[in-house]
Amino acid sequence: MEDWRLEPARDLELVGADRHRSYYRESGLVANIARFGWWTMMRASLKVLHRLKVHGREHLPQYPSFVLVANHASHLDAMVLGSTLPLRLRDQLFPLAAGDVFFHTPALAAFSATVLNALPVWRKKVGAHAIRKLRERLIDEPSIYILFPEGGRTRDGSMKPFKSGIGMMTAGTSIPVVPCHLSGTFEAFPPESFIPRLHRVSIRIGKPRTFEHLENRRPGWDEVSRTLETDVRALAATTAGRNTNTTNKPPTTDPAP
Amino acid sequence: MGPRNYRLANSWREWRLRAVVLPADRYIHGAATSRYQWGDDDDQSPASGGKHLNLTTRERLFGYERALDHPVSVEIVACVIVGLAIAGVLILVLRSRMREQSYRVVFARWRSWCWLVGVIIVPVLAGAAWTMLAVMLLSLLCFREYSRATGLFREKTICAVIVLGILMVTFAALDHWQDDRLFFALGPLTAALIVIVSIPQDRPRGFIQRVALGVLGFALFGFSLGYISNFANIGRLAGSGPDYRPIVLLLIVGVGLNDLFAELVGKLVGRRPLLPSTSPRKTWAGAIGALLLTTLLVTLVGHRLFAGTPIDHPGWLIGLGMLISLLGQLGSLTLSSIKRDVGVKDIGATLPGHGGLLDRFDSLVLVPPAVYHYLSLALGENGPLGADQPYRILTGSGG
Repeated sequence: MEDWRLEPARDLELVGADRHRSYYRESGLVANIARFGWWTMMRASLKVLHRLKVHGREHLPQYPSFVLVANHASHLDAMVLGSTLPLRLRDQLFPLAAGDVFFHTPALAAFSATVLNALPVWRKKVGAHAIRKLRERLIDEPSIYILFPEGGRTRDGSMKPFKSGIGMMTAGTSIPVVPCHLSGTFEAFPPESFIPRLHRVSIRIGKPRTFEHLENRRPGWDEVSRTLETDVRALAATTAGRNTNTTNKPPTTDPAP
Repeated sequence: MGPRNYRLANSWREWRLRAVVLPADRYIHGAATSRYQWGDDDDQSPASGGKHLNLTTRERLFGYERALDHPVSVEIVACVIVGLAIAGVLILVLRSRMREQSYRVVFARWRSWCWLVGVIIVPVLAGAAWTMLAVMLLSLLCFREYSRATGLFREKTICAVIVLGILMVTFAALDHWQDDRLFFALGPLTAALIVIVSIPQDRPRGFIQRVALGVLGFALFGFSLGYISNFANIGRLAGSGPDYRPIVLLLIVGVGLNDLFAELVGKLVGRRPLLPSTSPRKTWAGAIGALLLTTLLVTLVGHRLFAGTPIDHPGWLIGLGMLISLLGQLGSLTLSSIKRDVGVKDIGATLPGHGGLLDRFDSLVLVPPAVYHYLSLALGENGPLGADQPYRILTGSGG
């Protein structure tokens, strides 16, 4: 709120599911408390049940806005990424979630918006308009996005190519994008199972990149997603190398291309 | 047979006796001659000593059987239901004369009214505890809309203090702390706490605005609306008068009708706008018409309601009517001013056809404290309101 200026909530006229699905949603005390409970629980359970290890925490930017991108293997992924951030940033943290899954029914939308603070991405009709709104929000106010540029969870454990939506949000801006690699989440919570299994999970956070030098057009967008994909694959290779080193086995595959 | 005492219903048969047979008997034979009479005060049965609430208190808090004990309660509820029914029939009859669009709006509005009347009247009739719970919810929802409209909701700490204040107000009313001291203390104490929690944020710019928004929000929607809870501590006014139900109903319905009178009279004969910058649709004629009609109504109903108490005097009753009418209109203008200042048309979108909850309850925000203290003053040595009931129900000896 600016000094001496009354600024109503941007979603004042919206109610129910319309409000929860809106990109201009603003939340209050109830959601704040719900998120405190949720993230506290998530941190504890990831630590206890999945022995979460975080590498490269020093690469995380100190202040919003920034974007976390990672490979996507399970519903745990966003929770792992969110747990690496300080709890006080919980209201600025927006996982971008599939609208057709997380915002399908009004009840689900209420949960996703209130507790997860998710913003919907409608995969079937993900228009340039929606992405422009997300880009504006990122620039205009301090926000942290969690984004999986693969566009969905992997079904076989291997990484899919990155889509260019992340480029459309960040090309030509000074917003840092942090590539991360998650390992163990596919085994801990595969797409076909309903409850997570006890499996170790670790995350490797890479150096943030900015894409100020790129144009906000198709070639720039593709460049962003290509760069980030390479980064995440390199992080994956580092993780794989570390794991094989610690178990004293020679590497079975070639290093990443 | 002498007057029957209440016992906690421990069987279906007894429940049916209390809920259906005895009230029916009372209405058939009249309250005076019925085997069942209300107001057996200080009936301390052996089963309800110690930690449990005594019977008087339990009856006041949860005694839904007494919902319609007072004839004025019956009359008010009946009038409201008949009024709604007539409005519904009128809407259906006039449907052919209206455009489809305006019919939809009017119908949505009418349906919202039906819901509102239900959620207001049912808790008030069901018992004092439910009334207080309903008032607490109303306070919380109204404050939510206010804070979202003014931007105060971004200040989570201040909002948390105000929510705490609203919960404490409800507790103070429920507990009925000695002479309601805790309740009255909560006004200044919560205001002070709002100031205190704003200091360590170390953000002097906008400090006055944040704190002032918080204090105003608590004063209007926590403290002022919370007085309705305090009304529910009346067992029998001045020992022989009505219970809290008809008084609270008169308060709410009086304020509602005051709005209606202002709008109707304003539409019929209104010309000169009252405060054009604040609310362009309100007129002098509407305001004066509402003042006269509401005062007349409250005086007539109040004469029946307060019979046998010191309030039943033309001076006090006319004053009560004017108080309800004037403060009702001023409350409405208060919210209009807030809306104009913020620059929104409706303060929320909770009720279809009305806007926010506050767009409907705006007239109520200034009335309860004034009426509470006015009636307490009028009661003289029998006051303040609720003095006939045990104090410190939860924190003391159990009523």
